[in-house]
Amino acid sequence: MQEDLLKLKNNALSLIIEAGSGRELEEIRLEFLGKNGELTQLLKNLPNIAIEDRPEAGRLANEVKQIIEDTLKQKEGEVGKSKSEKAINIDVTEPGMRPSLGHLHLVTQAVREITEIFERIGFSRVRYPEVEWDWYAFTSLNFPDNHPARDDWETFFIDQKPDPKKGPVVLTPHTSSGQVREMEKKILPIKMLNIAKCYRRQSDVSHSPMFHQFEGLVVGENISIMHLKGTLDYFVKSYFGKDRVARIRPYHFQFTEPSFEVDISCGVCLGKGCKLCKEGWLEMGGAGMVHPNVLKHGGIDSNKYTGFAFGWGVERVLMMKEGIEIDDLRLLYSNDLDFLKQF
Amino acid sequence: MNIKILDSWLREFVTTKATPKQIAEKLSLASVSVERIEQRGTDFVYDIEVTTNRPDLMSLVGLARETTAVLTENGIHATFIPPKLSQPKTANTVEITIKNDPKLVNRVLAVVMEVSVKDSPKEIKERLESTDIRSLNNLIDVTNYVMRVIGHPTHVFDYDRLDTKTLTIRESKKGEEITTLDKKTYKLPGGDIVAVNDKGHIVDLLAVMGLENSVVTNDTKHILFFIDNCDPNRIRKTSMNLAIRSEAAVINEKAIDPQLAHDGLLYGIELFEKIADGKVISHITDIYPNKVKTKPITVSEEKIKSVIGVPIPLHKAKDMLEDLGFTVEKQTDKLTVTPPSFRASDMEIPEDIIEEIARIYGYHNIPNVIPPITSGVINHTHNEFFWEDRVKDAMKYWGYNEVYTYPMVSENLYEGPLADAVAIQNPLSEDMVYMRRTLVPSLLQVIHKNKNADKIKIFEIANIYEKRHNNLPDERLIFAGVIKKPKNSFYEIKGLIEQLLNDLGINNLEFKQLERGGDGASIFIGKEYLGDIEILDRETINFELEFSVILQHVTAKKIYKPMSKYPSLIEDLAMLAPASTSTGELMDEIKKQSDLIREVSLLDKYEETRTFHVVYQSYQKNLTSEDVTPIREKILNVLKEKFNARLKE
Repeated sequence: MQEDLLKLKNNALSLIIEAGSGRELEEIRLEFLGKNGELTQLLKNLPNIAIEDRPEAGRLANEVKQIIEDTLKQKEGEVGKSKSEKAINIDVTEPGMRPSLGHLHLVTQAVREITEIFERIGFSRVRYPEVEWDWYAFTSLNFPDNHPARDDWETFFIDQKPDPKKGPVVLTPHTSSGQVREMEKKILPIKMLNIAKCYRRQSDVSHSPMFHQFEGLVVGENISIMHLKGTLDYFVKSYFGKDRVARIRPYHFQFTEPSFEVDISCGVCLGKGCKLCKEGWLEMGGAGMVHPNVLKHGGIDSNKYTGFAFGWGVERVLMMKEGIEIDDLRLLYSNDLDFLKQF
Repeated sequence: MNIKILDSWLREFVTTKATPKQIAEKLSLASVSVERIEQRGTDFVYDIEVTTNRPDLMSLVGLARETTAVLTENGIHATFIPPKLSQPKTANTVEITIKNDPKLVNRVLAVVMEVSVKDSPKEIKERLESTDIRSLNNLIDVTNYVMRVIGHPTHVFDYDRLDTKTLTIRESKKGEEITTLDKKTYKLPGGDIVAVNDKGHIVDLLAVMGLENSVVTNDTKHILFFIDNCDPNRIRKTSMNLAIRSEAAVINEKAIDPQLAHDGLLYGIELFEKIADGKVISHITDIYPNKVKTKPITVSEEKIKSVIGVPIPLHKAKDMLEDLGFTVEKQTDKLTVTPPSFRASDMEIPEDIIEEIARIYGYHNIPNVIPPITSGVINHTHNEFFWEDRVKDAMKYWGYNEVYTYPMVSENLYEGPLADAVAIQNPLSEDMVYMRRTLVPSLLQVIHKNKNADKIKIFEIANIYEKRHNNLPDERLIFAGVIKKPKNSFYEIKGLIEQLLNDLGINNLEFKQLERGGDGASIFIGKEYLGDIEILDRETINFELEFSVILQHVTAKKIYKPMSKYPSLIEDLAMLAPASTSTGELMDEIKKQSDLIREVSLLDKYEETRTFHVVYQSYQKNLTSEDVTPIREKILNVLKEKFNARLKE
C-alpha cells in the first residue's frame, strides 16, 4: 500500500512536471485525485490492510494528496490560469475594442513635417501678425505704390485709418511680411522659418481665400545662391523623397534679386512629362536673393550681408507630395468629417 | 502671361541646329519657362510663360535674342538674325495731325496708307493661329503680326471713318461712353487715355481696345497705322476697371520700350506693302516726348562671387551680357554695364546685372551647399509650438478631430458689437466680412454641417482678433472645442481640461459659475481668467480657452518628491449632505484637516450621498487606525459644522 502510494505520487509528479497547459493539468488532477481517480481507487483497498498499519497509510495518503495538489497549483501558476481557461472562447476575427482616435488636420501634419526638416538644418520657427501694416506686407518689401498686388481685388484691406508711416492695414498676402520684422530683431545671422495663415482675395477650385505659407529667410555674411540651392535641395529630398529633384529658374519678384521659380520633378511621370506637369516639372513656388532695399528697410547693411528667402504654399507642397488629387482645394477647409477622418 | 510661338517662325530670327526640345530645356533653365511643346504637323509650338518684368520677351525678336545667348553659353552654336528694317518712301497726299499729351503717352507714331482689304496669305494665317490669335483680315492681321514679331501692340484705324484732320489725345472724363469694336458699350471711369476727332467724338481707347466707330471694315480703302506707347499705370487701371483684358492691354500695362514702337512701325509698313497692296500716303508722325533713359551700372567681380557663390571670370560675364544686348566696358576688377532700351525699366542695381550673369551661366552649374550658419535666435525646446503640438496630440489620442475654419466670418457668426469688429473693407462675400473674436461659432457651424453624425468631437487652435485704437488688432491664439453626443456630460469636458492642463504642468485650476450667465463654468488658473465651458443643450457642450494664458503657466519642469517608505491607509467616507453643497468645497475642507491626508477624491455621487476616497500616508511611520481615527473625527465634526453633513449609516 505504502509502496503503491509512493509510486502513485511519483507518477503524478512526473506527469505534472511535463504538463504544458492548464488543460493537461486538469486531466492529471482528474486522473489521480478525481472521484474515480487512482488515489480514490487505492484508498478503497484500505480496509484490506492490517489495522495497525491503517493510520500510517491514511497519513501517507493525505500527504500524497497534499503534495500532488500543491504541485498542481504551483504548475498551474506557471502555465497560466487553468480553471477559467476552458471558459475562454475567443473569436479572433471579431473586431477589437479600439481606444478612441481622432485626426489632426492635413495642414497641421504638413506644417509639422516641414518644421522638422528645417529645424534639422538650424532654422528657428517664428510667428508674426496675420493682420499687418502695409509697410511690412508691401512697402518694405520693395513693392511700388502701383503694384498689382496692392489692388483691392488682390489683397484684403482692413477698414481702419491708415497709419501715417506704416500705411493701411491688410491681411497678410504672404509670409514674406515677416522678413523685415525678423530683421528688426537685430539678431544676426538670421535663419528664420515663418509658417502662417495667408489671405488673398480669390476663391476657386485651386484657390482658397485663406491658405498657408512657409517662409525661409537666411541672412548672414557671404550667403549666396549656392546656399539657397543647398537648402532647397535638402528640403525637397527630405520632404518628397530621394528620387525627386529640384531646379531653379529665372523669375521675377519685387523683394528678391535675382528671383527664382522653384520646380520639382513630377512625381507621377518622374520627369518624363505628363498631363499633370509641365514637361516633367511642377512649380513649387518662389525664392530669391533678398533685395538690397529689403535689407536696408530691415536695418541691415547690404554691403556686408546678403541673404536668401523662399515662400511656398503648405497646401501646394502637401498636394504635390501625397498625390491626393483634391479637385477643389477649399475642401480642406470645408471640414466635412468624412474628409478629415481619411488622414 | 503666356505666349505661344511656332518653332519655324522663331527660326526666322535665330539660326541654330538645336532641336526644339533642346531649345525648350535651355530656355526654361536660363530664361523663360517653356511649359509645353506641342507637335503641329512637322512643326512645333512652344507655350512659354513670360514674367511681368520682361515684356520684351513677348515677342519673337526678344525670344530669339535670348535663345541665342542661352544656346551659346551651353555650347550650342546659334546666331541671332534681327529683322531688317528700312525707311519707307513717304508722301504728303493726306495730312493728319496728332496732338499728344506727354503726361499720358510717351511716344506716338502714325502714318496713313492706301490699302486693299482681303484675306492674309496662308503662312501668316497659320502663324497667327498657332499663337492663339484669330486671323480676321489682312489689315488686322498685320497689327497682330507686328505685335508678335516686334513686341509692341499696334493699331489700325479706318482713316476715312475717322473723318478728321486732327487726332487729339486726352484724359477721359468720368461717365463718357464708348462702344468697343466688339460692339460692347462702356461708361468710362475717368482718367483713361482716349483719342478724339475734330467733332469731339471718342474714336479710340488707347492701348486697350479699338472702337466700333473707327475700326476697319471690309470697305476700308485708307488706314491710319497707329502705335502708341502709353503710361502703363493708366492702362492697367482702365483695363481692370472695364474688365477688358485684351492682349494689347496686358502688354501695354507692363511698360514696354518706346524704341520698339518705331521698329513696329517700319516692320508694319513693310508688311502692309507686302500683303495689303499698301502705299504710304502721308508723312510719318513720330512724337516722342518721354525718351527712355538708360544708366550705366557698375558691378565688381567680388560682388558677383558673393551673390552667386562661385567666381565668374569678367571676360565671360562680358560676353554673356553682350549677347543679351547690353553694352559692357571691362575694367580690371569690375564691369560697367549699360542696359539696352528694352531692359531700361528692369535694370537698376548691381544685383540686376548679376542675375543676368548667373542665369546665363546656368543655375544648375552652381553647387548645392547648406548654409554653414545657425540662427542667432535659439528657440527653447519647449517653445509655444512645442506646447501647441502637445495639446493637439493629446486631443487626437482622446478621439478629437482637428478642424481649420476660416477666420473671416459673417455678421451672423460674429460675437460682440460690430462697431468693435476688425472688418474687411473689400470682402469676397457676405460670409467673410469680419475677423472673428471667438472660435466657437465657427465650430458650431462645422457641427451643423456634419449633422448626420450622432457623435462629434472637434477642436481648433487659431487666432482671434480684437480691435485696438490706432494699432494692429490684438491677435491671440485660442483653443476651442465642441462635443456633441447623446447624454453629454459637463464633467467629461471639465475632466478633459483638467487632465490636459495637468499634462502641461498646470494644477491650480479653479472652476466657478459661468461669469456671463448660462450653464457652464468659468475657468481660472489661480486668479487669471482662462476661459469657459458652456453647455448649449443636452447634447452640445463647448469650451474656449486662451492659449496665451496656458502658455504663461505651462512647465515641463519635473520636481522629484521622495516616496514614503510606509504604506498608505485608505478610507471611504460616504457623506450625506444637502444637494446644494459644493463638492469641491467639501473636498477642500477634508484635505485641510491633516498633513497626513495625501489625497481626496470623489468616488461616487448618488442623490444626497457623496462618497469620498481618502488616502492617508506618513513619511515617518506605519499608520494605524489609532492614528487615523482622530483625523476622521475631526473631518466629520468640521463637515457637520460647516455643511451640515453627516456620515451615512
